[in-house]
Amino acid sequence: MSSLRPQAQRSPLTLLRVWIGFQPNQGLRTGFTYLLMGILAVSTVGPFIIMLSVSLTQNIRFLLFPIDLIPSPITLENFQLLFARTLALRWTYNSFYVALVSTLGGVFTSTMAGYAFARGDFIGRNILFYMFVGILIMPETALIIPQYIMLSDLGLVNSYTALIGPWFASIFGTFLMRQQFLSIPRDYDDAALIDGANIFDTWLRVLMPQLIPAMVTLGILRFMGNWNSFLYPLIVTTKAEMRTLPVGLGTVARSGGDAGLDMAGAVLGFVPTFVVFLLGQRYIIQGVSLSGLKG
Amino acid sequence: MSSATLRPVAQRRALTKRILKSLPWYPFIVINLVVFVVFNLWPWLSMFQTATFKTDLLSHREFVGLDNFVKMAGDELLHLALKNTFLFALLYVPPLVVVSLLVAILVNQKLRGMKFFRSVYFLPNVTNIAVLALVFRRFLSPRDDAPFNYLLGLVGIPAQRFLLDIHQALASIAGLGVWQSFGFFMVIWLAALQAIPQPLYDAGRVDGAYGWRLHRHVTIPLLRPTAAFVVVITTIGALQEFGAIFILTGGGPVNATTTAVYHIYSQAFNFTRFGYASALSILLFLIILVIAYVQNRYLKFDEEVY
Repeated sequence: MSSLRPQAQRSPLTLLRVWIGFQPNQGLRTGFTYLLMGILAVSTVGPFIIMLSVSLTQNIRFLLFPIDLIPSPITLENFQLLFARTLALRWTYNSFYVALVSTLGGVFTSTMAGYAFARGDFIGRNILFYMFVGILIMPETALIIPQYIMLSDLGLVNSYTALIGPWFASIFGTFLMRQQFLSIPRDYDDAALIDGANIFDTWLRVLMPQLIPAMVTLGILRFMGNWNSFLYPLIVTTKAEMRTLPVGLGTVARSGGDAGLDMAGAVLGFVPTFVVFLLGQRYIIQGVSLSGLKG
Repeated sequence: MSSATLRPVAQRRALTKRILKSLPWYPFIVINLVVFVVFNLWPWLSMFQTATFKTDLLSHREFVGLDNFVKMAGDELLHLALKNTFLFALLYVPPLVVVSLLVAILVNQKLRGMKFFRSVYFLPNVTNIAVLALVFRRFLSPRDDAPFNYLLGLVGIPAQRFLLDIHQALASIAGLGVWQSFGFFMVIWLAALQAIPQPLYDAGRVDGAYGWRLHRHVTIPLLRPTAAFVVVITTIGALQEFGAIFILTGGGPVNATTTAVYHIYSQAFNFTRFGYASALSILLFLIILVIAYVQNRYLKFDEEVY
């Protein structure tokens, strides 16, 4: 570095500190960090706690401050009303069904295609691979209208096929699994082939057992992604009974009911992904890090 | 040996061998291929055809050539929607990039309980937009004693109308978006921060760089590829914002939150103008493509950083 000057450059904050003659010690700095993070944590979790407490409050028309965080009496009335007045139970079923089939299908096909792209030597491999990359850059929302027109031509609007279809394969998943297969030494394949296994056996019995963590990561990300998707399920369903939970809850939000009813719906939509998040957060954070790193 | 010197028989045999070797691999990709052709490639190609028609998908279908594209020039609501879309990106991307980076630096310290805080910050990100909209519609209510106005009142700021105010609605939705997504990008920044090799800091110190200077010459240059990634991804997301707008404002008040995607949705499903909506989709695609390309071009370090 040619620009080295004898005196170290100081940040504005350091200069300010020197100027006012204040040098915070480590303990004070740690305390300040915790204070900041605490405030941020309250602002992140607070709305969810309020949501839960209002959903358990009797006869609550508006959500107003100050609020009793522990309602008295605690009641499940809002949930009963929600299930009686809306199709929330059906929407929950739809969401679970669609998310589970989409997740299992997507992980399965990604693991298959990832294997083929990592190990296979077949005609058209590179063209197909670049085609997949090309599709990946297509913004989802730009495809919504033509997708709807196609499904409407095929008579598939308001069908599970339409809700699950595009989720039954994943380009991100295919790339992820391809990377994972590439990280396993080819010696495993060679040994299996010498033992008389074909490529299918090699895939299923030799390589796949080593990739369970990656498959779980992908599965959790796909489940979350599918459960939380909104625009696509909104346009491919027009009948109330075919809606997914988020789309159904969107109609609840727009209908302007009681705060209690709204929050009961919010809790219902919140709990499934919250539970998956609690159980699989290690995998989720790993998966997000993976998606951000190059390669 | 070039293929021209091979005799036809040998050539054919080589090809047969190659095909036979290829065949067992196709079953592994066939489902992927079918899904992408049916749900991506086919709609993508048909979009260009539909864009040249005037159609309501039921009885009416009339070839209009490039009329749908010409119509865009006179569509005032489209112009407003594009303006709103870019304004939304400006209100959403810079705060999100800065906040998520600052939080990442904060939770990257070696202190107790960091894992807990990281998980907590990630929570809104795994929650779907309908849930957040149900909750925040109540929080953003214009009443004096609704949560946000109550808190504003505590510090002496008069009650605001948020989603009902044409100047605040878009910013309110951008704020909700930042709150929802900062945890996600915090994790991306964290991965980048933790991938910086410690020896680089040691080398920096040997060269006489400490504190702020160390960060300026080591941390910031090394974060630049990640910064490019975060900016491009958040911008692409911002240009496609829909869910919160659909549930919270329905494009209002007075079209103040009508963005490009909302306009497309509304043209198709409220006015059954599917040809025009297809043409608008092509426009949206081109806008996103150009912006992502330009950002990639100017943000990325062409040279290796270390």
